[in-house]
Amino acid sequence: MWFLLMLIVLLTNGMSAFGLKVIAGWALPGSVKFPYLAIWYAAGLAGVGAPMLLRGMRLSRKDLLWGALMAALSIAGQVAMAVALDSNVPGHIVFPVAIGGSIFVVVLAGRIFFHERMSRLNIIGIIMGFIAVILLGMS
Amino acid sequence: MGLLFCVLAAVAFGLLGCVSKAAEQRGCGASALVASVFGWATLVMLLRTAAQHSGFQMPAKAVAIAVACGICAAVAYLAFQTSIKTGKVTVGWLMMNLSSGVPAAVSIWIYKEKLSPIKIIAFALGLASVLCLFWGQKSESRVAANSSRERG
Repeated sequence: MWFLLMLIVLLTNGMSAFGLKVIAGWALPGSVKFPYLAIWYAAGLAGVGAPMLLRGMRLSRKDLLWGALMAALSIAGQVAMAVALDSNVPGHIVFPVAIGGSIFVVVLAGRIFFHERMSRLNIIGIIMGFIAVILLGMS
Repeated sequence: MGLLFCVLAAVAFGLLGCVSKAAEQRGCGASALVASVFGWATLVMLLRTAAQHSGFQMPAKAVAIAVACGICAAVAYLAFQTSIKTGKVTVGWLMMNLSSGVPAAVSIWIYKEKLSPIKIIAFALGLASVLCLFWGQKSESRVAANSSRERG
């Protein structure tokens, strides 16, 4: 099951950002960005929310609060990255630092707070993945 | 100053991964949590669009792409949130970030982008990393199954 979930993550998360590249190629006005993201998030909400409604599931206060915190962190990350790019820091520095740094934070927290133990194979995989992500961000 | 914001972005995104795990440990359901995140983000983007005063006019093909990609994003986060119940948040988060290789590969194929040496190394390392993580998880599951069998 875990393997299948990881394959889904690899394929769907990658393609979720591809739309921005496609519409950038159409040279649409910059004002389209926010309506595009509003529809992007609303479609995601419908995609997850509709099956929940059909099964009669409801959001608890706890889900709403944790979800708000996660949404705030996601938006804060995007805004910080946009400010860095506007401050003339080149993209080949902004993306590797932001993405590589986030992996570093999660690895550290996984070890300290969630007591995750890694096999040697996993450690090698994480180091190689870390370098791959930084190189992809640079390119 | 710009570099400080790069670091802030790294911390914010990293904390997002950590908060996902913390929420899972506190019993938040994966689908409820993802619906909540996307709900709040939709609200913020609707407010931001309204503040822009340029309306919601967008070509139909852009709407179609936004819908398809938004559903992909929700499915991805749902899979990640479900995976950290049994798997490691570190590995899940790395997979989320390694997925940036997929659009890069699709771009090379569709837009005939140049395959630079850096990209070739990145793809090779990314593939090797995924294989190591999969094998690592497999061997850890085998060890865990053996030790529980010995205890039982």
